[in-house]
Amino acid sequence: MDAMETQELKERLALIEQMMMAGRRSTENWGWTFVLWGVAYYVAIGWSALGAASYAWPVTMVATCVLMGVFLARRDRKPNTTMNRAIIGVWIALGVTMMALMPALAISGRFADAHGSIAVVCALLGMANGASGIVLRWRLQIASACVWWVSSIVACFGSQMQALVVFMVAIFFCQIGFGIACMMAGAREARGMKDGAHA
Amino acid sequence: MPELPELNPVVHGKLRLAVLSLLATADEAEFTWLRAQTGSTDGNLGAQLMKLEEAGYVAVEKKFVQRKPQTLYRMTEAGRQALTEYVQALKQLLGSAIGG
Repeated sequence: MDAMETQELKERLALIEQMMMAGRRSTENWGWTFVLWGVAYYVAIGWSALGAASYAWPVTMVATCVLMGVFLARRDRKPNTTMNRAIIGVWIALGVTMMALMPALAISGRFADAHGSIAVVCALLGMANGASGIVLRWRLQIASACVWWVSSIVACFGSQMQALVVFMVAIFFCQIGFGIACMMAGAREARGMKDGAHA
Repeated sequence: MPELPELNPVVHGKLRLAVLSLLATADEAEFTWLRAQTGSTDGNLGAQLMKLEEAGYVAVEKKFVQRKPQTLYRMTEAGRQALTEYVQALKQLLGSAIGG
């Protein structure tokens, strides 16, 4: 076998790996949801600061869910892979946990303790990002999870304002920054695949 | 010297190989998704999918969702077997090439 044939066979093997990764790395296609929820958190925080603390969070969260539903309904249906189901399962479980826990905390009056609320939210987001990052073997998402976990610990100390600042910084890096990085990586991979798979 | 394996010509086509690799990780996939992932044209992708279907490597299902036609493809057991054998043969060939 000559060098040219060997090179062609290597390219075939690389193509198989690249295409299999395309089916797996679907989280990159969800980058916009991280940005959307990051902006939603900022809106809720800002709205609460303006004096609408009792309804700013529930209204913003429900509105974001509806907005996400509208966007998802317009998207092309993606294939359902085993890994996709695992990742989607983690995020749905997080969503249900947040939607059940946060209103309960608010109604019972325990949401007033900003330290506890921020720590719980950061820890839950760390858990979801950590699980997703480990399944995908994706260092960037694991790093994002670590930032959430550190924020969760830090939020337990200092003043309420300091805890809020920590939360906002974590949102910036782990939601908006991470979301934009995902979208850029997704676009880069899509370009790479188009270059690599032509018959 | 052991005989080198032959590569399955149906699987060996670049676009067909890309499609089979994509379907290997998915339960089922739409034509539009396969087209987007491979960057191919409708005509070329359709022709290659037909060859895979004729070989019994993919199964196709056509249906209407909200009055829009939807074509779903999934890999058959024969397709999975063919891809596995192709990868094994490829590795064996590359191993012999590297080994001299």
